[in-house]
Amino acid sequence: MSCDVSQVFSRLFKAAGALALMAAVSGCGPSEPKTAAAPPDMRRLTDRQYHNVIGDIFGRDIEVGGRPDPLTRTDGLLAVGTRTARITPAGLEQYYLVAKSVAAQVTDKVHRDTLIECKPADVKAADDTCAQTYFQRVGRVLYRRPLRAPELKAAVQTAHEMANASQDFYNGVSLALADMLVTPQFLFVVDETETDPANPAGQRLTSYAKAARLSFFLWDTAPTEQMLDAAEKGDFHKDVSKFVDAMMDSPRLQDGARAFFADFLGLDKFETLEKDSIIYNAFSNVVAKDAQEEVLRMVTDHVITRDQDYRDIFTTRQTFLTGPLARIYRVRVERPDGAWVSHEYTPQDGRAGILTTVGFNAVASHPGRSSPTLRGKAIREQLLCQHVPDPPGDVDFTLFEDPNSPNKTARQRLNAHATAPACAGCHKITDPIGLALENFDGIGQYRQTENGEKIDTSGDLDGAAYGDPVGLGKAMHDNAATPACVVRRLWTYAAGRAPSQANSAFSNYLDKSFARDGYRVRGLIRRIATSDAFYAIANGATGTASDVPPVQTAKAQEK
Amino acid sequence: MARWRNGFSRALMRQLLGVAAAWLLLPAGAQAADGRLAFVVRHWFIAQHNSRFADECPEGVSQANDELWWRGLSKKDRAKLTDNGLIQVLDRNPIAMRRGPKGEDVCVNPDVVTDPPLRIIRGKYSYGANLDGTTDGRATPKTCAHEKFVGLDGTPGIDNQLYRLVGCTYGWRKGGLIELNANEMRGTSGLGMTLVEITGVKDPRNSDNVTVTFYRSVDQFALDGAGQPLPFTSYRVDTDDNGKPTYGDKLKGSIKDGVLTTERGDVRLPFYGNYNFMHPIIKDFGLRLEMAEDGKSAKGLITGYYDVHDFLHYVGGMAGHSSAADNCPSMWAMAPQMADGYPDPKTGQCTMLSAAFDIGAYAAFAVLPGDAKPVKTANR
Repeated sequence: MSCDVSQVFSRLFKAAGALALMAAVSGCGPSEPKTAAAPPDMRRLTDRQYHNVIGDIFGRDIEVGGRPDPLTRTDGLLAVGTRTARITPAGLEQYYLVAKSVAAQVTDKVHRDTLIECKPADVKAADDTCAQTYFQRVGRVLYRRPLRAPELKAAVQTAHEMANASQDFYNGVSLALADMLVTPQFLFVVDETETDPANPAGQRLTSYAKAARLSFFLWDTAPTEQMLDAAEKGDFHKDVSKFVDAMMDSPRLQDGARAFFADFLGLDKFETLEKDSIIYNAFSNVVAKDAQEEVLRMVTDHVITRDQDYRDIFTTRQTFLTGPLARIYRVRVERPDGAWVSHEYTPQDGRAGILTTVGFNAVASHPGRSSPTLRGKAIREQLLCQHVPDPPGDVDFTLFEDPNSPNKTARQRLNAHATAPACAGCHKITDPIGLALENFDGIGQYRQTENGEKIDTSGDLDGAAYGDPVGLGKAMHDNAATPACVVRRLWTYAAGRAPSQANSAFSNYLDKSFARDGYRVRGLIRRIATSDAFYAIANGATGTASDVPPVQTAKAQEK
Repeated sequence: MARWRNGFSRALMRQLLGVAAAWLLLPAGAQAADGRLAFVVRHWFIAQHNSRFADECPEGVSQANDELWWRGLSKKDRAKLTDNGLIQVLDRNPIAMRRGPKGEDVCVNPDVVTDPPLRIIRGKYSYGANLDGTTDGRATPKTCAHEKFVGLDGTPGIDNQLYRLVGCTYGWRKGGLIELNANEMRGTSGLGMTLVEITGVKDPRNSDNVTVTFYRSVDQFALDGAGQPLPFTSYRVDTDDNGKPTYGDKLKGSIKDGVLTTERGDVRLPFYGNYNFMHPIIKDFGLRLEMAEDGKSAKGLITGYYDVHDFLHYVGGMAGHSSAADNCPSMWAMAPQMADGYPDPKTGQCTMLSAAFDIGAYAAFAVLPGDAKPVKTANR
């Protein structure tokens, strides 16, 4: 939490002289301003979170198939879309099929002795004592809080009925577990609240809800049993920073950071990425998978593993490659197979930073050609948090797509197209920066000419001139909107909603702190995770499991 | 300034500027940024001039094993051995090959029968190079007397006795099964992978004093969806237990207007085809390699002397012979007669065949032991 006055005085007594006073105060930095808190939320688990939770609780060898309903990108993030995500009947069916498969694996002969802590007196009959012991424990980690008596009773009863009906204790446990896996309490992370003792008229998140919020933010998964034990003792109401520090020291912080950057950088677009194999024969599913992974490795290695200046992700020459990727980059790698190796580009390579990666350029392109407009839009919207209006419905692409056009380069074609007044406004925003990346074709292969004509990659970003893609990266590095955008997105990701006007003081506080910390993302994550704002709930608002909209349980559906 | 006024310094400056301009035109991330270019050889064929109506074979094409076997059988035996004629040519290879007097396989034991002489090339033209330096093919200390060809471009004095030997045999002609199968096997097996690395390259289109090294790769071709090799793939060089390349013969050369030409020297190459793995030495080996302007591929001509015994070892060792494609005993008898290079000091009989090979190659990166860096994983 932020440094309070008593801490400053405490330090003052311990230190002598004005120098110590300055050191004490400067060490704390500006204190966290008051924030307009938001009402409690419930967020649907993302696909990745679902996998992580199942893997953490039951083991990574449990196979999880299926696909949940897609999320809607809101305020630049899918994470915000989890707040408004609904589960359609077809989606529920998917969840139930996955749940049944997971539960069957957990209770099969390979796993049951490891994952279920007790053995039934008779494997061919119900054993309520054993079932209760198991569901009490596993229910707590699945729901991120202890099961309430009716919830536990329902699980034991289901297991009892099914075990006796099928004369198989584990079949009963399996069906009851599958039921739990499709409950809203599991599929949604619910902000449960309680009366705030410091402000009896107000509410606060329960200790369990705080643990869950923190765990999903930092590790992209549910709280561990140890965290739930601490939550039971109310420790998350006392000093959250010790949990934050321990969690940030864990390698699992990578999971949380990867989840954020995958969302922030729009890497979900890889799931639907298609390229024309005649034009781009070097592009394959393997390349697409590796290109996505390269971006994540490049960024997380830089800002998490090495704790470097965030803005350098636009200029760094250090990356990680596989053989298939190196082929597109036209560089030598010592391992031509799928193994990852570190690689540093030379100044002659013409590449530096994420804007020059295959991943960025392939996604922001069409299946058969590059797209300065899509690239410019991606930079403006994703990386600078600026809004680019959608094109008008009656936009005329004939000038741009005419195969007999005398215009050989994308710049020439766009100039012809964007002279139309209806198009010019938006293209002025996107194209100049997108054209800087025209040295990269539709899959990110380097080129100097298009249709035999030399490509002009010069331009300017908000007044900062550049001559090539590497120069654009430098301009992005130096643009004030670049760090401000990641701050805004990280806070939005953590809080589940974009900062409102009422929160501008808090936003400014984060921006300034980020700059003062040398634009270190680790520091920003810690600042958010230890802030009051991260856990704040609007006065008068309550959240309980009863707020969760009714979802037909699997058991009911089966009946 | 004094140095600038000096003529030598100006020349040097001009040279430097020229090199700098050449590099500026290089695509970023391209090969040769470190002075190294490499190509992996995908296609390897005996260079042959095959006219549409086989005019170069006035005696016709050679009789193959199956034909000779068939002719030597009575009608009754034909019926007996071919299930009354139901076993057709392509399925009767094993039977036709065992036409020795005691049922021997005549490709494994080519001297147990005496077949009609192999029909050979009588035409005037051929691909290749003048290897012996003569225009009439007279004997020299290093060669035996032989007929010369004229190059397709009119160059006189061309030597290509390997072509003369195989050019009238169906299986060896262009598009014949032997050459096509061998080429396909190299493409799919990852065996016999030749890597050509050019070092000391200042400008990929024009460089004097380059060194060309011939390696074997341990990695297979990386192919696209259509089965074609993908350019700019990294291939690791085969090394021995001490980490030294198992192959690695070097030649000096130069690049002019995108064409590499090497000096001549002996080069050992990996070879695989038709289930034979060999490592023949080609003597007086010379390579002319035309590199495509986009840098993605190259095609070229290898010329030099190919050992007769290596060749016959290959002929005899082919598993899965098509009995209709060639004739081992005739080839066995004719090959030494065609040899025109490197006479045996004792017998005076030449031991090598002048030869030319067409190659097709794709841009690659040769990964040598020194190229390996410590592997650093990002975060997991």
